[in-house]
Amino acid sequence: MSTGPAMTAPTVKAQAGSIVGAPIKISARDVNVHYGDKQALFDVSMDIPDRAVTAFIGPSGCGKTTFLRCFNRMNDLIDNCRVSGSLQIEGKDAYAKNVDPVVLRTRVGMVFQKPNPFPKSIYDNVAYGPRIHGMAKSKSQMDGIVEQSLRRAGLWDEVKDRLAQPGTSLSGGQQQRLVIARTVAVNPDIILMDEPCSALDPIATAKIEELIDELRDKYCIVIVTHSMAQAARVSQKTAFFHLGKLVETGATEEIFTNPRDSRTQDYITGRFG
Amino acid sequence: MAEHTVKAFSEELDAITQEVARMGGLAETAIADALAAVARRDTELAQIVIQRDPKIDAAQREIEKRAIKLFALRQPMASDLRVVLTAWRIAGELERVGDLAKNIAKRALILNQDEPIQLTRSVERMGKIAGAHLKQVLDAYANRDVQAAINVWNADDNIDAHYNSLFRELLTYMIEDPRMISSCAHLLFIAKNLERIGDHGTNIAEYIHFLVTGEEIATQRPRADAAE
Repeated sequence: MSTGPAMTAPTVKAQAGSIVGAPIKISARDVNVHYGDKQALFDVSMDIPDRAVTAFIGPSGCGKTTFLRCFNRMNDLIDNCRVSGSLQIEGKDAYAKNVDPVVLRTRVGMVFQKPNPFPKSIYDNVAYGPRIHGMAKSKSQMDGIVEQSLRRAGLWDEVKDRLAQPGTSLSGGQQQRLVIARTVAVNPDIILMDEPCSALDPIATAKIEELIDELRDKYCIVIVTHSMAQAARVSQKTAFFHLGKLVETGATEEIFTNPRDSRTQDYITGRFG
Repeated sequence: MAEHTVKAFSEELDAITQEVARMGGLAETAIADALAAVARRDTELAQIVIQRDPKIDAAQREIEKRAIKLFALRQPMASDLRVVLTAWRIAGELERVGDLAKNIAKRALILNQDEPIQLTRSVERMGKIAGAHLKQVLDAYANRDVQAAINVWNADDNIDAHYNSLFRELLTYMIEDPRMISSCAHLLFIAKNLERIGDHGTNIAEYIHFLVTGEEIATQRPRADAAE
């Protein structure tokens, strides 16, 4: 036993995820989304903090993915989709006339449920974005970007000796990490994840969650997930959606121990339906 | 055992275990100082023990908070579940130990107003044993040592035997000299508090057994306290 009791309680890194006073990265006010005549989102207003993970939860069809896709203007690609309201990234309107959605999508990267590596080598998967944006002046500089991105995605050690092999030769979990490496290679501020672990087994899922925990030191991360347990593990802020409305947001610890709204409580405890 | 893939989970479990160890240290110090206050008739030290007790209560609340957070956000399973559960329960036992030490210190304040009494030595001896048992069980917790915990669990009848013997001695004193009744009564309560501290030590030993093996200690604990 040590010589005497410590004066203060030990702290853990996870406590540093406290979002009180964290700078706001994305600010949404009265966002409405229509697909033709059908309204999918009703007056959604919320702030997304920087250097933290925000989780969107809710039953199927509640609008969480629709809302996520507003942040990188993926909804622009759908013909009859109309987005109204205000969506600001670092105080600037993301839907302003002079905003190029393609450039926006390098700042706001996205990872999908089914890993979608390009039919290219591992190296070229990661180098593709930096290449078209002219981010490297030389091969060695590009090599550096590729290595750093793969390291940041926790994949370098596993693939450094086979960078020429196709991205599709990797396992599902590795492919997803490759996609994340591809996303961070173009220096985004924000990483959106739409059910990134749904297609993965528990071990691969845990590796992605540890990666997310490391990435949140540097990026603003928003994750849509069907798994409430995952939202509880991985996020610092949670937003609950239901039937196109934002029902409640709060610190993840509060939402999962003492939610304010009875609908949130019912969903979390499995009393829905 | 390997670390969790998600490192923060391992860190949180380590942190709650360390917080229990820290709280145990506070409780050990409280007992030692309270008994020293009795032995040396040290009023100032007794007051310090009383003033420090809120820190022990605060540590228990902190552990409870962390346990709730771990249950809600990590859904711990198997051995992880037992780590969180036993941390919470042991904190409860240690909080009671802190209160008992505080009560001993309060009695010291009163005793110091009367004439010194020989029998405080016997109480001191009993106190040292109780303190030693608590230290042993807290070491067992830190080392996840089931055998060491069982040893403390079995040795509690030693404390009970001291209590019974003290009880008889104090009665004799009181009968022989009624002027001693007040002081002896306080010493009796102090002895009772020490016996209770021993009981909390055995409870902690039982939690350690559950923590490591996942099972309860099967047999009845040997009991030597005549009154129960």
